[in-house]
Amino acid sequence: MKVELINRPGNTAAKITLQPGEHCTAESGAMIAMSGHINITTSTHKKNSGGIIKAAKRLLSGESFFLNHFDSVGKEGEVWLGSNLAGDMLALDLDNENLIVQSGSFLACEDSIDMDMGWQGFKSLLSGESMFWLNLKGRGKVVLSSFGAIYPIEVNGDYIVDTGHIVAFNETLNFTITKAGSSWLQSLLGGECLVCKFSGRGTVWCQSHNPNSFGHALTPSLRVRKA
Amino acid sequence: MQDNHFNVILTGDLRDGIDLSAAVSSLAAMFKTSEEKIQQTIAKAPVSVKSNVEAATAEKFKTAIEQCGFVCVIKAASETVVATASVSTPLLVPVNQDVLASASEIVESPPSFKGLSYKIEGRPDYSFLTVQIPANQTLKVEASAMATMDTHLVMKTKLKGGFGRFLTGESLFLNEFTAERGAGELGLAPGTPGDLFHQYLDGQTIFLQNSAFVAATMDVTLETKWQGMLKGFFSGESFFLIRCSGKGDLWFNSYGAIIEIDVEDDYVVDTSNIVAFTDGLEYNITRVGGYKSLFFSGEGFVCRFTGKGKVWIQTRSAQAFTSWAHFFRPVSSK
Repeated sequence: MKVELINRPGNTAAKITLQPGEHCTAESGAMIAMSGHINITTSTHKKNSGGIIKAAKRLLSGESFFLNHFDSVGKEGEVWLGSNLAGDMLALDLDNENLIVQSGSFLACEDSIDMDMGWQGFKSLLSGESMFWLNLKGRGKVVLSSFGAIYPIEVNGDYIVDTGHIVAFNETLNFTITKAGSSWLQSLLGGECLVCKFSGRGTVWCQSHNPNSFGHALTPSLRVRKA
Repeated sequence: MQDNHFNVILTGDLRDGIDLSAAVSSLAAMFKTSEEKIQQTIAKAPVSVKSNVEAATAEKFKTAIEQCGFVCVIKAASETVVATASVSTPLLVPVNQDVLASASEIVESPPSFKGLSYKIEGRPDYSFLTVQIPANQTLKVEASAMATMDTHLVMKTKLKGGFGRFLTGESLFLNEFTAERGAGELGLAPGTPGDLFHQYLDGQTIFLQNSAFVAATMDVTLETKWQGMLKGFFSGESFFLIRCSGKGDLWFNSYGAIIEIDVEDDYVVDTSNIVAFTDGLEYNITRVGGYKSLFFSGEGFVCRFTGKGKVWIQTRSAQAFTSWAHFFRPVSSK
């Protein structure tokens, strides 16, 4: 599986080239185009792993319940993936390490990657972003998407990131959800309600914009919907 | 010293916070060469990737290379003492002017060009088109696309294509800009943030998704084409396509960047990501995978192109964006 990112950073699309027999799993709805001979199957789980429980957990995380599997039959084929918001993508090679991904940032991964929901405890329930994070482990390629640009931060010691700006981070990092200011009132008024405090050694990938903030900025100009 | 004596030199160093493999792959993509070639070149650094060019061109290369993540310097040719890569690795010289242009995100019409001269700036995220209209010539433009124009251009609003265009969801009116009192410049900004694409039609036919049209010269015929009830209904887009034929310039736009795909035998494109395609391609609205995929894959119906031709796709879709924004709509209190 080969990953190429095109038109970075604003309107990134990922071109995934599959050799015959190779598989790739992608977030449902991400495919924008593909070679005609590529087979697509939809399931609630990753091939040969997990099942309905995992799918239910994934749904809770804000990811969709279903995943699409692409496989190239007979000859080489390509799949183009896009995201719904403007922004960059990131292709990572995992080498038997664990990566924790913010729900919604996951785009695709190679077959050899195992995907599970990492229950991060009730602390992340408070974060307002997501209760669950995707836990990717194994050896292979992973493609993540973001809203805005992606920038890596090497953490050695402590670092604080707003919960809405996290794309992914190494599992070697510990994190706690905490308030940004010295008092709750100050944090609330400052608009930085909850932040993630990382400690340890590893990389955090951040996105330059927060999708939730953008969505709420649109709210006043959108038409009212029925509940 | 003459103006065109500058060399662009790759120092081999990475800019802060840039991953080597990412930088190598983006540089490879820009120069349309393999990552191995780039790695070999980097190993020989410092190398000159472009020699004896004008200051402005050198600056363009520098910006493009720096965007990929490498540190790059410009030196006057006389003070360059490093190995010249363009001799040992000729592949590092961009294949054509297009590559350079896209790297610097400005596309200009080549001087030998048959059609009107134009310039597209801000590609691919926020494209803006500037067309030079020669005296007494007229340009057909999508209504409301005009952003700036010279005062001696005269605008006339025409009801083009009759009722058909009304049905496509395209605006009923096309604006015609005529350069009555001498040549003039017209600036066009499409409604969606995204890419702009130019095609010179010389007898070929291109089909456009109904909102993709930006501008065309008078000899390009625009017709609406009924897609048929089934195709139109399932495509989720519209029942009509715009058929562009004749001879002349045609500009179309997208939401997100445009990717050109050469279809050899068959290709599948999500219906909401089609921008345009050439005549001669057969297209069918089908489902992907089994019935489970139809309802749960998030793809719904796709368009399957068969034959030989070109399809232009966009990397974002307005539909996907609006369905994302749906959750942020205010909820009525009733």
